[in-house]
Amino acid sequence: MPPVQPRNRTSFAPTPSSSVKTPLNSDSFLNELTAMFERSAEKGSVWVTLKRSSMKSKVHKNKMNTAGEAIDYRCLIRATDGKKKISTTVGPKEHQRFQASYATILKAHMTSLKKRERKDKRKAADSEKKGEASKKMAASK
Amino acid sequence: MVYLTSWDEFVERSVQLFRADPESTRYVMKYRHCDGKLVLKVTDNKECLKFKTDQAQEAKKMEKLNNIFFALMARGPEVDIAEVTGKEQTEAQPSKKGRGRKQ
Repeated sequence: MPPVQPRNRTSFAPTPSSSVKTPLNSDSFLNELTAMFERSAEKGSVWVTLKRSSMKSKVHKNKMNTAGEAIDYRCLIRATDGKKKISTTVGPKEHQRFQASYATILKAHMTSLKKRERKDKRKAADSEKKGEASKKMAASK
Repeated sequence: MVYLTSWDEFVERSVQLFRADPESTRYVMKYRHCDGKLVLKVTDNKECLKFKTDQAQEAKKMEKLNNIFFALMARGPEVDIAEVTGKEQTEAQPSKKGRGRKQ
């Protein structure tokens, strides 16, 4: 099979390896994703995209529809740090295991977000709006 | 860009958007450690919903949304997300602060 060409290029000149992406297995993907987060800690972004996909072309899908065949869908997960692109797919039976590992990675790396100082907030709430605080207490019971 | 300010509204509308067009709807997350910013986007290429935050608390909420989307996308848009979140569906009236189920 010829190598996958990025859709936005019309020429068939050899493409740099960073734009060729064959789907990884979910474990390799998770390892690469971890590495991406680690590399982007000082500067840069990590993008993760989730999309439902049958991983088949429109033509193939139309054929399957007319033949009355059921089309299997998977969840396509893509990640990039702006330079490297990786992807993987996850089916209905593996998604729970994947989402658990995925959540662990995110929790471990998304550490620069601000933590709310609840004590300060409560003090502020108590001193400024005593009514609000007692309403909240009543509702949560 | 449509940045929503309510997390719950973002979740509700995102799920609706997905269910209306599961083929084109995608869920994008962008995280910048150096700025401590997280941006979420759900779009079907016609409508775009976004949510941004710098709060760790919302990252925890995002975890649940991730699970919702994994289930919807891997299993199908008909999946009952109450299994995933333990929350009532939007058809039933969700109470803002109540945790028990209304019967």
